[in-house]
Amino acid sequence: MKYFSTHRFKQLGLVVSFTLGALSAQAQTPAAAPPPAWKQGMSDAMANSTLAPLAGKLTATKAADVPINRIKLPPGFKVEVWADSVPGSRVIAQGDGGKYYVGTRPLGRVYEITDNGTTRTSRVVIDKLDQPTVAYKDGALYVMSVDKVLRFDGIDKNPNVAPVDLTAKFNLPPEKHHNWKYIAFGPDGKLYVPFGAPCNICEPPSAEYAQIRRYNADGSGMEVLARGVRNSVGFDWHPVTKELWFSNHGRDWLGDDTPNDTMHRLKVGGHYGFPSCHQGNLPDPDVKKAKPCDGIEQPVALMGPHAATMGVTFYTGNMFPAEYRNVLFNARKGSWNRTKKIGHDVVMVRADADGKNAKVEPFMTGFSNEADQTWWGRPAYLHQMSDGALLVSDEQNGVIYRVSYSK
Amino acid sequence: MAFLGVAMLAPLFSAAQKPPPRAATCDVCHGPNGNSVLKDIPSIAGQPKVFIENQLVMIREGMRDIPQMKSVLQNGANSEMKGTLDNVQDSELTELAHHYASIKIAKPPTQKQADLYNKGERLSKEMRCGVCHLPTFVGRDQMPRLAGQREDYMLYTMRAMKANQVVGRDPNMITSLYGIADEDLQAIAHYLSRLSN
Repeated sequence: MKYFSTHRFKQLGLVVSFTLGALSAQAQTPAAAPPPAWKQGMSDAMANSTLAPLAGKLTATKAADVPINRIKLPPGFKVEVWADSVPGSRVIAQGDGGKYYVGTRPLGRVYEITDNGTTRTSRVVIDKLDQPTVAYKDGALYVMSVDKVLRFDGIDKNPNVAPVDLTAKFNLPPEKHHNWKYIAFGPDGKLYVPFGAPCNICEPPSAEYAQIRRYNADGSGMEVLARGVRNSVGFDWHPVTKELWFSNHGRDWLGDDTPNDTMHRLKVGGHYGFPSCHQGNLPDPDVKKAKPCDGIEQPVALMGPHAATMGVTFYTGNMFPAEYRNVLFNARKGSWNRTKKIGHDVVMVRADADGKNAKVEPFMTGFSNEADQTWWGRPAYLHQMSDGALLVSDEQNGVIYRVSYSK
Repeated sequence: MAFLGVAMLAPLFSAAQKPPPRAATCDVCHGPNGNSVLKDIPSIAGQPKVFIENQLVMIREGMRDIPQMKSVLQNGANSEMKGTLDNVQDSELTELAHHYASIKIAKPPTQKQADLYNKGERLSKEMRCGVCHLPTFVGRDQMPRLAGQREDYMLYTMRAMKANQVVGRDPNMITSLYGIADEDLQAIAHYLSRLSN
């Protein structure tokens, strides 16, 4: 944006005139015409709805103000506020030297939280980014936003290291909607990056959306692994098969009960249905196609309609009882596009290694009250600590919980 | 440079609630008690509390880049482009948000172009603006009040959203303006600015 000349004001009572002026011409234009507004999928039947996205909280919350006693867990588990006053906390990546890196979304910050044993301290590593996320590998912190890829080498020993800018190598698409990305390094050492569709429901304006890709750590060797993925914001590798399992958000404005958010196993080269087929078996009424669900990959599990399935973590630790080994934990932020809210919890998906016989069960609840439809927290991402405890970020309160188990 | 005639307005809040000290700074641009009389500068009176609070955080963080808020007030001789909200604590932002949310928005202009107004009324229904901003367009939570907001500011903002040149706003809002004709935005801004809800 251009800066405009202004007059300094001398005292109250004098007016200075401002002009907002012409919009900057420096932004990239999309490759093709963007989808028109009417394609955002609201039918006439929805015209009088007042469902809207839930309001986030951008100011800090202290641990004392978190109603932690309302959180419910299975017997033997306990929860504490592990870090507070980190508004907007989302993805957690473990670094070296007791440091954890935490991304956000609208607030634009990346936090470094240091675990001092009994307490945590935090600092902001970088801010003013457009929806940043984090990953960590070989001593380097990777930060990816809508329009930047940065790498902070050796940040543990060199906290003020200037980042290496890798943006040009990664070929990022320009649209912002659904373009916050969850990224992670796989067992193959490559960086996995989904790119969501820039709309609720549409034919994406160009081929680069609604897909999952992987890259070498330096941005070279880009491969498209899957297409037709509307918006995947969490994934992890099965501890035994090393296959990628990923979450996906279904479209809005198709009623309270359709479509489900879904959990999938990656089949390289597979198509997951968006936009013409949802949850593996539901043809879309707006973007039609002949036999839309033929050949579409089927989900492992249905994660609840509009529940907002987020972070995915397979548990591999020794702290929790054996029955939790290799179980997929999934945080669900909670619904906005549903008259009766669901989600606001952490659930478990128990399934065979090939994805069959999946069952979804609650693990961590209490963030919402079904009876009066109030809610106070939004679990978002998970991280297994070295001792087997589970960190859970609450994006609404900007705190991170530590869930532990003892007999 | 034009001079601002400071209108004597009837008290818009109870004497028991003194405005926070920093509100005087906001009022310089956003108008007496947050009702803007300056071209292209939005009114903040009567906006939902969460909306104001979130925007203040985004402006303090530099996520919403409003150059005028950076350069108008310089904190100290050695400061370099320090902004009006640098280092302002969360609690003070929350207090400012409560303050402006509690003020009644000024009456909108009565003069209107009938064709443009009617077209704007039809379009804002067809485009489902009321789903989020409510059918009265008074806004709620993090979604701003549109009824009675300045026409020039709303047109500017909608144009910027359509061109995908805003940071720190809900992408749902940005995408809802995909492909819309500029003359439609003009009609919508004209209509909403005349609503006295």
